[in-house]
Amino acid sequence: MLSDKDRIFTNVYGLQPASLQAAQRRGAWDGTKFLLEMGRDWIIDEMKKSNLRGRGGAGFPTGLKWSFMPKQTGDRPHYLVINGDESEPGTCKDREILRHDPHLLIEGAMIASFAMGAHAAYIYIRGEFIAEREALQRAVDEAYAARLIGQDNIHGYPFDLYVHHGAGAYICGEETALLESLEGKKGMPRLKPPFPANMGLYGCPTTVNNVESIAVAGTILRRGADWFNGIGRPNNVGTKLFGISGHVGTPCVVEESMGIPFRELIERHGGGVRGGWDNLLGIIPGGASCPIIPAHLCDDLIMDFDGCRAATSSFGTAGVLVMDKSTDVIRAIARLSYFFKHESCGQCTPCREGTGWMWRVISRMAEGRAQKREIDMLLDVTKQIEGHTICALGDAAAWPIQGLIRHFRPEIEKRIDQYAANPHIDPVPVAAE
Amino acid sequence: MKRLLQLVFTWWNGATAGTLLTTSRSGQFVGEDEFGNRYYRKPGKDPTIGVERRWVIYKGEADGSAVPAGWKGWLNQTVHVAPSEETYQPREWQKRHLPNPTGTPGAYRPQGSILRAGERPAATGDYQAWTP
Amino acid sequence: MPKLIVDGKEIEVPPEYTILQACEAAGAEIPRFCYHERLSIAGNCRMCLVEVQGGPPKPVASCAMGVRDLRPGPNGEPPVVFTKSPMVKKAREGVMEFLLVNHPLDCPICDQGGECDLQDQAMAYGVDSSRFHENKRAVEDKYIGPLVRTSMNRCIHCTRCVRFTNEVAGVGDLGAIGRGEDMEITTYLEHAMGSELQGNVIDLCPVGALTSKPYAFKARPWELIKTESVDVMDAVGSAIRIDTRGREVMRILPVVNEDVNEEWISDKTRFIWDGLKTQRLDRPYIRENGRLRAASWSEAFALIAAKVKATEPSRIGAIAGDLNAVEEIFALRQLMQALGSPNLDCRQDGAQLNPAFGRGSYLFNATIAGIEDADAVLLIGSNPRREAPVLNARIRKRWLAGNLPVAYVGEAMDLTYRAEQLGAGAQTLVDLANGAHGFVEVLRQAQRPLIIIGQGALARADGAAVLAAATRLAVDVGAVGDDWNGLSVLHTAAARVGALDVGFVPGEGGLSAQQMAAAGALDVVYLLGADEISIAPGAFVIYQGSHGDNGAHRADVILPGAAYPEKSGIYLNTEGRVQVADRASFPPGDAREDWAIIRALSDVLGHRLGYDNLGALREALVAEVPHMADRNQIAAGALELPAIAAAIAQMEPAPFASPVVDFYLTNPIARASAVMAECSALARGAVAQAAE
Repeated sequence: MLSDKDRIFTNVYGLQPASLQAAQRRGAWDGTKFLLEMGRDWIIDEMKKSNLRGRGGAGFPTGLKWSFMPKQTGDRPHYLVINGDESEPGTCKDREILRHDPHLLIEGAMIASFAMGAHAAYIYIRGEFIAEREALQRAVDEAYAARLIGQDNIHGYPFDLYVHHGAGAYICGEETALLESLEGKKGMPRLKPPFPANMGLYGCPTTVNNVESIAVAGTILRRGADWFNGIGRPNNVGTKLFGISGHVGTPCVVEESMGIPFRELIERHGGGVRGGWDNLLGIIPGGASCPIIPAHLCDDLIMDFDGCRAATSSFGTAGVLVMDKSTDVIRAIARLSYFFKHESCGQCTPCREGTGWMWRVISRMAEGRAQKREIDMLLDVTKQIEGHTICALGDAAAWPIQGLIRHFRPEIEKRIDQYAANPHIDPVPVAAE
Repeated sequence: MKRLLQLVFTWWNGATAGTLLTTSRSGQFVGEDEFGNRYYRKPGKDPTIGVERRWVIYKGEADGSAVPAGWKGWLNQTVHVAPSEETYQPREWQKRHLPNPTGTPGAYRPQGSILRAGERPAATGDYQAWTP
Repeated sequence: MPKLIVDGKEIEVPPEYTILQACEAAGAEIPRFCYHERLSIAGNCRMCLVEVQGGPPKPVASCAMGVRDLRPGPNGEPPVVFTKSPMVKKAREGVMEFLLVNHPLDCPICDQGGECDLQDQAMAYGVDSSRFHENKRAVEDKYIGPLVRTSMNRCIHCTRCVRFTNEVAGVGDLGAIGRGEDMEITTYLEHAMGSELQGNVIDLCPVGALTSKPYAFKARPWELIKTESVDVMDAVGSAIRIDTRGREVMRILPVVNEDVNEEWISDKTRFIWDGLKTQRLDRPYIRENGRLRAASWSEAFALIAAKVKATEPSRIGAIAGDLNAVEEIFALRQLMQALGSPNLDCRQDGAQLNPAFGRGSYLFNATIAGIEDADAVLLIGSNPRREAPVLNARIRKRWLAGNLPVAYVGEAMDLTYRAEQLGAGAQTLVDLANGAHGFVEVLRQAQRPLIIIGQGALARADGAAVLAAATRLAVDVGAVGDDWNGLSVLHTAAARVGALDVGFVPGEGGLSAQQMAAAGALDVVYLLGADEISIAPGAFVIYQGSHGDNGAHRADVILPGAAYPEKSGIYLNTEGRVQVADRASFPPGDAREDWAIIRALSDVLGHRLGYDNLGALREALVAEVPHMADRNQIAAGALELPAIAAAIAQMEPAPFASPVVDFYLTNPIARASAVMAECSALARGAVAQAAE
């Protein structure tokens, strides 16, 4: 349980205005100049010591990522790109920052850019976030007007911040696809290597960070790495915005310390599982791409990177989807599968062809209109996609189905048996989708 | 003389001596088709084959395809009424029976065959010549 | 150089190699669809996955990962790559299965059948049966022009075609719309592609999604006889393969020749073959009472002999055309010399090129491969996009590599790369030659400046002066040196360099082609495939050629010759590279190989040429022009600077205009081709639209 004094996002519910004055009252932009005067190496060192892991899903240490940028700015400028393309179903943490605490983000962008020698930063916002973009743009304008950022600002470090509005494609949340989209091209992931730290935006060294990773930077530096490092479990430290949705009493976004037990998170902040804890069927812990965790593993599930991995899932963005026993879990996964089929960019073969295949098979299974041997075939198809694609969308599409088959195989078999025992009249065959 | 030699040494001209002997001894003439082939039967069930024995003596070279459809049916026990005993009149659009001409000058030659007389049609690869 | 171990074999490769190239160097075969040596790396087919030790526990796309990015082992051992491990096999089978789930099983009716990468690799790396029992995707076929037929169900989205049009052709016509399963390759609103190199996407397509429209359903690859030859549609001399069935040319494909065409050919080269079947001259003709009538060879020869014997040698002339091989030009020159006539010319367009200026004055001295070394380009009166699209692609390749200023003197044009127009005509060239123009400084700064002089600047009355001015400029900016000669003439006629090399130019007191064509200049004119010049009425015209075109319409006697696939011949391209074309087919009807016609005619005329077969003719040719024996070599040409400089004259102010007005209709074969006519109409329509 995180105490109020340790919260970073003190306005996550929008109870106070998001304006600059209100943000400054809450502590944003406090002593930023002093932090910058401590120097680049100190900032990166402090970030490393804080053990902040990236909040975008993969959990890569943020300080380490910053340190990958070339130390000296050569003839190519450095860029910071902030990934606000929060499109993962179940994840809704960044939008609260963008709406209600944008100045923490802008300050963090300034500090991070300074730390990696970038004089320009881009915030790429999801296409569907209309109000959020307006709120952020307002905040950026305020910051410019107050000369907090800009070419000639009070901090003495020329810095420009651009808000870029995406067009609404899930794949543009992948860092290299985001860069492509930012450059005005079709949002298709690039091949790695070269990594963005070497060849990123417009071929220049670039760091792509999640909104939350950047937004917490200012507070971490102000309060010290040790403070942040002291919250949570080793290797999984700090505070984190959790999004709780699904079959709970009070769906919400809440800042909590890493390593909070899942049951405590749900019962304290989410109002408990609908129909009581025993009515829990399973959860998807970190957004749609994470494998499902069945109820029996949820009892002592620790909500952090290592805890979720121990439950053969992944922590992702901590957008917890709770499903109670009224859920048709096969249909739920089939719907996720449709989402990934719809959002596949179509660049590389396994994802382009495989997501559609998986969706067709799993939606037949949701009806029961399948063979039991097709379960193994489907599992094999997911394995053929996983790890063979350019970006992680292939993996993300494969994992929910793998999780379903791992934990709910009897459910699928039961559905098939039911259908075989009482077959419906086949729907009219469709020639081609 | 020639006919006698053929009768003794060949089997493909008309009937062999044995067949002629059988025909003269037990054959009952049934009828003759438009090519002059003569058809015979031995009344009653033949114990060795279980049905009535029927046969044909060809006019000229023995060629199975020379038997018209009606007689073929009778010979093969498909029907028991011989065409000569029927009142069936062929329709005007029905083609006359034709023995298989394969191996004869009347054989079918596909378009473009070098054995076919007349003008060869243009093949692909031919060009279109310029004319002034 | 980094070392690595591929399948247990240690090799050392250059650091810029990708894993795929390293594996190839180690002798391991890597299947691929999207990877192509001459295009950018897309890495999207995922067929080339290999296992790399020490990396993440997943296979990596070998086409996209450089050997530099491989991590060595903990004790500095070289990185280890497996191409045959179970993981790799499984990955390939998986990718192949995905490629096939939405690929129709229509190989029996697919034109790619038999030469299909997907077919071959499915045999080698796929599994035997499909587990996909859903409906297959259906994609509507697109119209992308008269040359490329689409069958989009078959597309595997390798994007080779997109990358080709963007990178090599430089037009950006093709692209992918939609995403995921619904991604489709198309042109914008199904417009026709507007490139002269679009046919190459047919070769690039690894499946049957893009196939040749004129060749559709005509033949199967295994029933064709393949003959390597040389293209004569432009002066680049692209290496081609002529596929024939019987005596019919079924299609023409490029052959890799790094020095000339890499592996691209222009659309005119590729789709000309239907012109080889129409408007053919297949028997001799004689004009009687104003009308041509079919005749026998002896009749035709007798008429010619009677006419020639009744004429003064100085009133006889010969003009060689643009598509001839060196042999027949050489034979005709010897015949005319034997007759005692000095009136010879191979420059029917009036280009002021002269062997007297030295061989270097009419060659593309920089060589086509040398374009890639150039660091500044000036085009004078040339539109390489229309005159030599493959060469233009080479300039574009160099331009894409960066730091290449390109400028031109001539009419405004779109070259697919950024080029600055310095001026339209001779005045700008004079300014340049006098050093009074800013671009001269750019050329001076350049280490290897390339100055390309086109026929648009040379085929004028003041062409010699233009050449002189250009030469002066080239010498001035240091383009002509020992290790680099950037003064390059771009020809449009495949026969031109060979004809100049054998000296098919007016002798002492001889008339040039334009003078021969004038009214009353000559009594007998021998046109050897010369269709681009009109002879004034009055002269007796002998036309020897393969197609009934301008020359045949004017002729009094027609001698049917062979088109370029129907004879073996030597061709010199614009670089002066000696290339030998093999015979792929036979001349139609009574037509004969051209050198043989001239040899037979020489007998009738009483000046028998001393060779009875092609070998003997070539011996005689080599005896006189030794470099003709050096196949695929370029004999260096000298540049007679004083002779060129002497030709200073007043230049006309008219702008330099490329002689190739319509790319698709430049020679008799092209004008006989229905496909070329359609392309030409389409291109003219596009131009009209753009002008509105």
